[in-house]
Amino acid sequence: MAVIENNVGAYPVSPHANRGGLKAGQNRIGLLLLLPAAVAFAAVILYPFLSALGLSLFEYTVEMMEPRFIGFENFYKIASDPDVWAAFWTTAIYVALTTTGTLAAGLGWALIMNQPFAGRAVLRSMSLLPWVLPSTVSAFIWGWIFNSRYGVLNAFLMELGLIDYPQAWLSTPEGAMLAVVLTKIWLSIPLFMSFFLAGLQNLDKEQIDAARVDGAGNWAVLRDHILPHLRPVLMIVVVLGVIGNLQQFDTIYALTGGGPVRATTVLSVEVYRRAFEQWDIGFASAVGVLWVAALLPPAFLYLRMLVKGN
Amino acid sequence: MNTFTRLIGTAAVALALGSGAAKAADLSFMSFTYAEEANKAIVQGVLDNFQKAEKLTVEPLGFAWGDMQKNIFLRARSKTLPDIAQLSERWLPTFASLDNLVDLNTVYGKDKLEAAFAPDALAMGNINGKQLALPLLSGSIGMVANREVLTKAGINDAPKTVDDFKKALVAVRDKVPNSVPYSMATKNNGSILIDFMVWNWVHGGRIIDDAGKVVVDSRQSRDALGFMVGLLKDRLAAPEIDRPDSRRLLAQGASAFYLDAPQTRTFLRDFSGKGQAFDANVLPMPTPVLKAGDKPVSVQWGHLLVQFAAGGKAKADDPADKFLTYIISDKVQTDLPLKMSALPVTKSARAAVADDAYLKNWSAATGDARRNEVGIWSNAADLTNIIGEEVQGALLGQKSADDAIKSMQARLTTSMEKAKKSE
Repeated sequence: MAVIENNVGAYPVSPHANRGGLKAGQNRIGLLLLLPAAVAFAAVILYPFLSALGLSLFEYTVEMMEPRFIGFENFYKIASDPDVWAAFWTTAIYVALTTTGTLAAGLGWALIMNQPFAGRAVLRSMSLLPWVLPSTVSAFIWGWIFNSRYGVLNAFLMELGLIDYPQAWLSTPEGAMLAVVLTKIWLSIPLFMSFFLAGLQNLDKEQIDAARVDGAGNWAVLRDHILPHLRPVLMIVVVLGVIGNLQQFDTIYALTGGGPVRATTVLSVEVYRRAFEQWDIGFASAVGVLWVAALLPPAFLYLRMLVKGN
Repeated sequence: MNTFTRLIGTAAVALALGSGAAKAADLSFMSFTYAEEANKAIVQGVLDNFQKAEKLTVEPLGFAWGDMQKNIFLRARSKTLPDIAQLSERWLPTFASLDNLVDLNTVYGKDKLEAAFAPDALAMGNINGKQLALPLLSGSIGMVANREVLTKAGINDAPKTVDDFKKALVAVRDKVPNSVPYSMATKNNGSILIDFMVWNWVHGGRIIDDAGKVVVDSRQSRDALGFMVGLLKDRLAAPEIDRPDSRRLLAQGASAFYLDAPQTRTFLRDFSGKGQAFDANVLPMPTPVLKAGDKPVSVQWGHLLVQFAAGGKAKADDPADKFLTYIISDKVQTDLPLKMSALPVTKSARAAVADDAYLKNWSAATGDARRNEVGIWSNAADLTNIIGEEVQGALLGQKSADDAIKSMQARLTTSMEKAKKSE
């Protein structure tokens, strides 16, 4: 034994060898690999967020060359501003409708795409199309569908004799909300469908066959076998959907601009309007901070699920 | 480590080359006209000729009209402002407090500018005695009609009173299928403001008086908004119409009337696909008045050029100032405004184009234009949003005209508490 130790000790050691050993080397490489992402995160997300956090305590309008510290005054103003509260309420409606709608449509489409039929592969590929298209392009496509003068929807309904004159769908609060919700659902179905499809392909087919032999119908199979099996996927999808819909800006702004009046002004549009239409960066930052606060609970849930290995 | 050093070195070289490329032009010019398909070639021609004449290069930065203000605002905050920027006349008070905006009186001399420019045009760029902008184009926003559509509807003369106007609209609605008789702006707060302001003036109302007091809560303003709501209810106007939509509808023979600046002719030539052959259809007309004998109203309109320089200091031989000098020369002023169907801004150029039939007709039709009563305030953007939202709320039936006017009065009054006027 002593001989062996002596032999080991006699091996020449590289002058570049580090004292920490293999584990420490791996850690360093890990940190080095993390560095680009960390730098990008710090530059694109952390720094702007901290800047916005700081600016929320300042008055900073277009007329001011330098911001003026005002403490929590912006937040006091928000508390008494009905427009901001209306934006919170509109956001809640939008998130609830889009998340529920996408969940139902994504699951339904995944169930169809999970069935064996001719052309399934082509249809599955085509289902990803809304995901591939830039969201603003999708918003303009839907804008044309709902357009009061040239829209396909009006043409179709007039052809069927259901309406006499073209309707201005985007000019009613309900129509505009429906349009932005439908657009977002259409955009999100591919992602949700992919999650569900992956989950469905792990489902034990024999279990379903056995249930059917026992007399279970489609609804019973869905309720008692498929949905319980998809529960972990459902949880992740709901949380991701809520986060994504809370952050939504581009499709809404491109389709309705937050209007008519303020009917589709969600928090993201409210922040934009305060910053770039009313030129009040301090107030916009304060609304932005509250918007981030609204994002924290679902983000926390999501991270907790990831850590727990769900 | 050596690889890392090489990477850093390469990045530094790339950055240096990149910044070198960015500084390749002698000056930068941010313009919304340059972003307009119908006008881009006209502006590019001016830039090319300037380069030939002065051996100086210009980097054009085109942004859509609707995006210009926020781009200037963001560039001001990030200290990346261009040397020269084009503004609508109503935006100047909003940016007047930027400390690197050059007072052009200090560059050219007040007397020289007053000698060269038409007073009404020069006044658009003057704020509290400082010449913060030079005019590029001028004119007024008034009513324009499509002569061909009027003929189809059996209308021989442009309507003179509001009652005649409504009768003409009904005729167009009934005789020209799928038309929007009056392409009133019902979308985009900036566009809605102009239509409301004009009809409010027609009905004898004001939004904000000269002292800054909000006076919109009046019978006249209620009548004006009620009139606009009535047009939409009777399908004489339509929802979802912004100024660009109005131009396209008129160019395609699907609308009879709308409000625009004289440069509408250039847009209509382009959007109709007929070029100058479409000019015969473009009929500038006085905005209908409430009762015969009233004076037709129109809104002062113009494009301005502002200069940004460190500390607001510049000299006449700086590249940016040579560019301004070139733009206001007779060579450009007797050409560019005409191509864009607008009035030149210098006295000599106006004299040279005095015989242009279209501009003469336009001026005769719109008469003395009034200054935009919202655009002169430092909080114009906020005022515009409030007015746009309240008017749109009434037009779309979300609230009554009375409630919209009351709410407008209250919101505008709050907004005006910190406002500064530009005179």
